[in-house]
Amino acid sequence: MMDLIGIPPQLLFGQLLIGLINGVFYAMMSLGVAIIFGMLRIGNFVHGAQYMLGAFGAWYLMHLPELFPGLGLPSLGYWWALALVPFAVGLIGAATERLFIRRVYDLEHAYGLLLTVGLAMVIEGLFNVTYGAAGQQYGVPDSLKGGVNLGFMFLPMYRLWVIFAGILVCVATWYVIERTKLGAYLRAATENPDLVRAFGINVPRMLMLTYAFGVGLAGLAGVMAAPIYQVSPQMGQSIIITIFAVVVIGGMGSIFGAIVTGLMLGMIEGLTKVFWPQASTTVIFVIMAIVLVFRPAGLFGKETVAAHAADISAARPHSILENGRLWIVLLGAGGIVLPFFVYPVFGMKLLCLALFACAYNLIFGYVGLLAFGHAAFYGSSAYIAAFTAASWGFPTELAILSGVAMATLLGALFGWLAIRRQGLYFAMITLALAQLVYFYVIQAPWTHGEDGIQSVPRGYLLGFIELNEPLNMYYFVLAVFLGGFALIYRIVHSPFGQVLKSIRENEPRAISLGYSTDRFKLIAFTLSAGLAGLAGGTKAIVFQIASLADVYFMTSADALLMTLIGGVGTLLGPVVGAVIVVTMQKEFATLGSWVIVVQGAAFVLCVLFLRKGVVGTLESWLSAREERRRQLDAPNARPAPSGAHR
Amino acid sequence: MNLPADNIIEARGLTKRFHGFAAVSEVDLDVRRHSIHALIGPNGAGKTTFFNLITKFLAPSEGTIRYNGDDITAESPARVARRGIVRSFQISAIFPRMTVAENVRIALQRPLGTSFRFWQSESTLDRLSERVDELLDAVGLGAWRDQSAAGLPYGRKRALEFATTLALEPELMLLDEPTSGLGSEDVDRIADLIRKVSANRTILMVEHNLSVVARLADTITVLARGKVLAEGAYADVSADPRVIEAYIGGEE
Repeated sequence: MMDLIGIPPQLLFGQLLIGLINGVFYAMMSLGVAIIFGMLRIGNFVHGAQYMLGAFGAWYLMHLPELFPGLGLPSLGYWWALALVPFAVGLIGAATERLFIRRVYDLEHAYGLLLTVGLAMVIEGLFNVTYGAAGQQYGVPDSLKGGVNLGFMFLPMYRLWVIFAGILVCVATWYVIERTKLGAYLRAATENPDLVRAFGINVPRMLMLTYAFGVGLAGLAGVMAAPIYQVSPQMGQSIIITIFAVVVIGGMGSIFGAIVTGLMLGMIEGLTKVFWPQASTTVIFVIMAIVLVFRPAGLFGKETVAAHAADISAARPHSILENGRLWIVLLGAGGIVLPFFVYPVFGMKLLCLALFACAYNLIFGYVGLLAFGHAAFYGSSAYIAAFTAASWGFPTELAILSGVAMATLLGALFGWLAIRRQGLYFAMITLALAQLVYFYVIQAPWTHGEDGIQSVPRGYLLGFIELNEPLNMYYFVLAVFLGGFALIYRIVHSPFGQVLKSIRENEPRAISLGYSTDRFKLIAFTLSAGLAGLAGGTKAIVFQIASLADVYFMTSADALLMTLIGGVGTLLGPVVGAVIVVTMQKEFATLGSWVIVVQGAAFVLCVLFLRKGVVGTLESWLSAREERRRQLDAPNARPAPSGAHR
Repeated sequence: MNLPADNIIEARGLTKRFHGFAAVSEVDLDVRRHSIHALIGPNGAGKTTFFNLITKFLAPSEGTIRYNGDDITAESPARVARRGIVRSFQISAIFPRMTVAENVRIALQRPLGTSFRFWQSESTLDRLSERVDELLDAVGLGAWRDQSAAGLPYGRKRALEFATTLALEPELMLLDEPTSGLGSEDVDRIADLIRKVSANRTILMVEHNLSVVARLADTITVLARGKVLAEGAYADVSADPRVIEAYIGGEE
């Protein structure tokens, strides 16, 4: 048989077929995500875990006799799974909506995303505890064994079935939503719930069913995937970020766009495997970046608005907890005595992560943009610092600065791409761009893949202070932290910070006063990235290693968790959050794989019960006490308008 | 240039379509310098859309806008604001968690050109305090200076918004329903303020309260279904049978 442009057709069509099958799964998954996002305004990060539940559901049905010996249950095969599991997963979805998702509809998008990230961590963590990382096998059903010989390649029946069934499901869903009365009600309910309620329609139930339906689709995709991919706890985690990128490329509110984009990207990914295998994991994210440059609204989306800032700050202006000068001194004093109570290594970890969280808080808390890819800045800086110190023999300060420069550059680039899109999309884009960095780091030769860059020399500060001496290293890190903390305080309380504040409070008004708000947001984002890089580079020197964990999305999630637990948009919140999270990680280290479950649960609990964080809650308490005092002092005076709201 | 120099705004053939529906359709409008020009019309006439077009918060589907003779059709809202066209919003636009003084200062800060200086202390803005106080006194908010803006009563919030807008020394002020939602006492105060600040500047306002319009406006343009129905002084416009028809036959 002839070669096409030097590529054997078996390889070309084989990869195209694999690409098309991946594309079917992308389409089904992004369809569910797009529906849930379009109707409920929830960025359903737990979608990947729900897909995994579908696959495990099929596997469970198959192994009923072994799982429940003595009950005499039959082993239910593929077709049973296809009929039962999507409903079961949908039912779990309905329960999830009722118990968790419903509570965050009226809140900022950030909380919905955080909640679903937490749920995903809990579910995937639990499966990981039970089944480990290894995959389970699930056979192709007998009725779909065999295949068709197309002459140039052999096409397995099961794959043919997946393609047809998957596309059929997508088209049917699109038809129901865009062309039927039920779909019209659904769309109306999301536009104007009160009006639809006035028609006598039970809107909450409708939203619950919509969520359940989207989740059921993920379950169905999971069952269909079980015979092709390995059934493993990680299967959802690796797909969800790609799905978010697909939704961004497809465009806002476009169901049709999600389907077509999913199929198309699967095939492009397949083709890339043929022509340039190294790029196949990143190609979707690169396409996303290109689409954002030329069509910020996505391929099928209509209009676009720049990322709008949201005010979720828990701070009380002029509170004693916001007095930067006081707290720099107190934190400095605390930092100096800390190594007499804890190991210096623990103290340094704390300081690095606290600085990272403070940097994150600058963009999330003070500008109100839900960035979700700060691991890219933290991690890339760690790698650059480690590499320049280990391979090029850069002195310590210069290595860290090189890392900061890298993070700042990346921040400017990612920010420029992401600021064009609003709200949740901003989170999805930053997440996907960070994933791009992650895949790059896995593959690039100089980063040494799974091993990371090890044995990084700590070197000498200013050429003569031995940093291998733990206390020297510790005080250097303390100085870096205090410098970063002071800089952030200055940024927030500068003329620039005033404008940031006005943008967060009322962006259209800030524009009408003549401020090009996008530029302010971009600069803030870049500064935040650079400071995250400072934390990452310092960390690489302290621990003498840069590893994949530094660029992994869990690190972005950690930054968010620390900021949230401590108190978003407060001066001290990220520091308090870092203390809590780092202590928690240390205490729970013995739990092994349970750590991720605990951390996920912390996310969920924080979103549901501690939205203001520790510092924010303290502020509410202080403000209530102040109010009581004032009333006691002047019982007959006219109550003054309260200074703090929310 | 053959433009009559006394027009600050000249809009020609301004059209905005949303999914085929023309909210504003081929509107020509001249706003004379140093006049108070009111835009009135029944609900859905396209007044707010027109406002958004002039301030570039919406991009027109067709037509051109000239400001002082310059074509500003393709400019960004922030750029237009820097040219001296400053708008207010229907719902009072303040920065709720900033103090009353900070609300005004944020506007005064822009011409200093230091707004990108993240390394400077905000105490460098203290030199604006005097002007802040002047502006607050002018709208009667001096006593509220250090309070959080969220705590102000509604009428005072509008006054604060007014002070913030004035701080920019706008050449053209666009006021979107400046008296909506106010009690009669507040309406009078705001109307007086508008009168007071209209010296040496141009005001274009959308207003529902016809007695305010009668009291303040030099020229009135009546919009209905996205088109200009009539234009002229209050007495002429209010006597126009088409205007009466539009208001009575309309949904109001």
